[in-house]
Amino acid sequence: MKWLLLNRPGYWLLFLCTLTLGCSRDPGPPMTDGDVALEWARMTTYITQYTPSNSPTFASRAFGYIGLCMYESVVNAYPAYNSMAGQLSGLEALPKPREGQAYHWVLSMNAAQASILKQIYLQTSDENKARVDSLEQAVYRKFSDTLDTAVASRSVAYGRQVADAIFQWSKTDGGHRGYLRNFDKQMVHPEFPGSWKPPLFAQSFSHHPLHPHWGKNRTFVRANRELPTPGMLPYDTVPGSPYYQQFVQVYEKERELTQAEKEAAIWWGDDPDVSFTPPGHSYYIATLAMESKRPPLIKIAETYAKTGMAVADAFIKCWEWKYHFFSERPNTFIPRFIDPEWESFWPDPPFPAFPSGHAIQAAAAATVLEDSLGEAFAFTDRAHEGRERDEVRDTDFVIRSFDSFWEAARETADSRFYGGIHTPQDNEVGLAEGVKVAKNILQLKWKKS
Amino acid sequence: MNLQKTRYFICALTWACCVPAWAQTPFTDVTEQAGIAHVFHVYEGTFGGGATVFDIDNDGFEDLFITGGTGDDALYLNQGDGSFRNIYEDSGLTLTRGFVTQGVVSADVDRDGYRDLFITTINTTTGAEEIPRAKNLLFLNNRGDLTFRDATTDYGLEDLNSFSTGPSFGDANADGYPDLFVGNYFKNFEGKLGVIKDATIVSANQTAEPYLLINKGGSTFEPANEKYGIGHKGFGFGGVFTDFDNDGDQDLLVNQDFGYKAVPNFLYENRYPDDSYLDVSEAKEMDLKINAMGAAVGDIDNNGLMDYYVTNIKFNLLMVNQGREQPFADEAKQRGTNNFAISWGANFADFDLDGDLDLYVSNGDLNPNCVPMGNFYFENNEGYFTEKGREKGVNDYGIGRGSIVFDMENDGDLDILVVNQQAVLEYPVPSSTRLFRNDSAQGHWLKIALKGLQAEPNGIGSRVTVVSGGQRMIREIDGGGSSHLSQNSVIAHFGLGKHTGVDSVIVTWTGGKKQYLLNPKVDTLLTIEEIPDEKTDGIWWVLAVLGVLGITGALYLRQRKKGKSRA
Repeated sequence: MKWLLLNRPGYWLLFLCTLTLGCSRDPGPPMTDGDVALEWARMTTYITQYTPSNSPTFASRAFGYIGLCMYESVVNAYPAYNSMAGQLSGLEALPKPREGQAYHWVLSMNAAQASILKQIYLQTSDENKARVDSLEQAVYRKFSDTLDTAVASRSVAYGRQVADAIFQWSKTDGGHRGYLRNFDKQMVHPEFPGSWKPPLFAQSFSHHPLHPHWGKNRTFVRANRELPTPGMLPYDTVPGSPYYQQFVQVYEKERELTQAEKEAAIWWGDDPDVSFTPPGHSYYIATLAMESKRPPLIKIAETYAKTGMAVADAFIKCWEWKYHFFSERPNTFIPRFIDPEWESFWPDPPFPAFPSGHAIQAAAAATVLEDSLGEAFAFTDRAHEGRERDEVRDTDFVIRSFDSFWEAARETADSRFYGGIHTPQDNEVGLAEGVKVAKNILQLKWKKS
Repeated sequence: MNLQKTRYFICALTWACCVPAWAQTPFTDVTEQAGIAHVFHVYEGTFGGGATVFDIDNDGFEDLFITGGTGDDALYLNQGDGSFRNIYEDSGLTLTRGFVTQGVVSADVDRDGYRDLFITTINTTTGAEEIPRAKNLLFLNNRGDLTFRDATTDYGLEDLNSFSTGPSFGDANADGYPDLFVGNYFKNFEGKLGVIKDATIVSANQTAEPYLLINKGGSTFEPANEKYGIGHKGFGFGGVFTDFDNDGDQDLLVNQDFGYKAVPNFLYENRYPDDSYLDVSEAKEMDLKINAMGAAVGDIDNNGLMDYYVTNIKFNLLMVNQGREQPFADEAKQRGTNNFAISWGANFADFDLDGDLDLYVSNGDLNPNCVPMGNFYFENNEGYFTEKGREKGVNDYGIGRGSIVFDMENDGDLDILVVNQQAVLEYPVPSSTRLFRNDSAQGHWLKIALKGLQAEPNGIGSRVTVVSGGQRMIREIDGGGSSHLSQNSVIAHFGLGKHTGVDSVIVTWTGGKKQYLLNPKVDTLLTIEEIPDEKTDGIWWVLAVLGVLGITGALYLRQRKKGKSRA
């Protein structure tokens, strides 16, 4: 874990800072406001990855609150920007800074990020909480060195107030401590032709589906609650029917997978047991963009807030629809109607198929990132660089380059088709609905007109 | 009739067609007439249960202990007339009611001549545990008076809180005291958990280390993973002690669920006389990345090498031993055992007494998933198998888990008991533990019971080879794990077909010592008592060497003295 931490350039910087600060009062290499924001984003994906029993649903919610908290802890420093208080479901007000008092906004953000991370990830290990504290202290030392003590204290206190208020609000959304209810063991699975069946080639030991009530959670944006249910092809086992053909496409693709497609399938797998989850991948891509573009702090915070809330709402809506349709995976349909010995390339996740969670959240994130940074953005995704080869599937983790956010989102969706665990309609509808979810995030009044 | 009911109706109809009541089958379901009334009750689903065959009172008829999960366990005393009597209530074992029991094995832990019981658990039944864990239970036999006493604390097992699955007895260090290997599924905790934080709860479903517990002189068990080099963590379903490389010591085959995601199966080579195991899984290609539930152990082609049938979800693997320098090879497809099911217990046994090992496989859905699937009976013909479950009358459609073979009425052929779970949801056919009596086996046979004097008293950890009719047939004495959460009879059983004689019997006692017997009678139970090594205490060797050295030295000095005086 330490190695992973230090393998990233930002952590090297911080490590060196901490070392030097520990030995003397030398402040070490300079750190910009943006650097601090990016360090917290990296810490967020780190905690996401190294907290056991995490899930894409719970992680998406965490990114929503943590991203929003970053934004709210600095927004009052920027008169052109609006707070989200009064705009989000059930968030009527947030603490305001005292009129006429000086604040150091990086210290507010620093305190707020540390506080919200430890509260949302209440279940993370003491070791991880110590990492959060350590980052907070290192940043505090760096920026408070020449600062008036009263300003520093006030800034920290304000940051914590914002985090506390957001955390209190988060507790009523239906997902608070959701990791204790990953699987509802009392749930009676609906049984009908085409209904989801617990997987035999499984990613999880649970035979109950993940977070069956997640779709009832409060969305960040009211308009997302109102999004209509998308249509799904009617069940049909007649060869040639549209429903049947969906599975034929999965079946045929699995039999002709190229090595590049296999690499895409494992790259985007983002299994919550070993990675920062699919929404974490989106948060990571936002970080890549911020590292490259280096926009002002408020723009960075706004991007994380939008990305976090977009993936969070995308998962709520996706789960609402997954349990509305409770639809089967190719591993159920294909062995029964096409080829009894067929098995998908990638194991089944423990929840119904339609629509694809990967697709919807990737599309939602890509949409907000495009809005912030433009459609054309070339980047190299190194999220799983250096990971041990997947011996089971005889495939390496190969870094990937894209020319746009949407290209990455498209591959995210396609990877599930290559993996044999989603049909094309799961992906297409997921992508389309993700865009709608994101547009409702973008419709909020982020800036004063 | 709704769709679900229609489906169940069709399943029931299929089942009814599969097992016509009027058909005369080689095996007869004698469950009710034998007085067996047992079903395993799951805790939340999927896991458990198992059974062990052991002779409680050494009366020559093998008895049964069957775990009950959240329900009562059962202790069935074999009454010698084809029937059993459940004596659990008065056996001193009823404290198992406080636990969700899973698997069970039996050996003579304290070498007093009576078989003791070790029972794995995953939780208590009080509902008090926020995280399902519990200690496993050790009961010592009160010298055959049909009662047991709890020895869990005395043997140092009290603080091992685990979600344990398959137990096995074996003799890792060949000292004659049976050791234990216990599969654990979710992370272990030592001692009481105290105040439970969210962090503890979310970490609870992580992978677990197994327990290798070394029996110290029959008085306590000592955890020895580190010492022996058993370092993996995974979703363990237990293991089986077996000698895959014919070097006379007990290697360890370990079954892991989610092998494609967590850690795969392991094959550990015993480095006896060193107290260590070497992980040879990859080299032997036994690092199976599957949902391994259990394993049957046997030499399917009588070539002198142990083969392993590893049960799985969907398709089981028949890992054929290619010899010392070669990896194992999965030959399930070529040899005819590649049938679709979710399989758990599996037992190699010569049911038809023709000189080769047939294979019984217990199948069952994951429960609460409840699609019925019949058990398999693979008949062996020169190393190739044909599935005949229906024809043999053993394709039970209950939710199968552990299965065992033993000779219930001492008639020389092997009968089958399969532990079935009660379905959590609606289920179209009956699902309760079944006993199938073997009624049609024809051929000669020989049963061999071992009596270890230095080896484990029942021969657990030893193996028997019978040479007859130009064939060499080997059997390992099962300490448990050669199935799923269960243990077969420790009496080695050989079908001889038309051969009325046996050329020789070779016993390889744990540690490698061999003992021979020529031309024994057949169609009988033969008890072979170990001829102990003539032990010479090391101190006498030291004294002897010192004595020789002393005399030599004295002679030398005397010679020198003589030489000097001459000069």
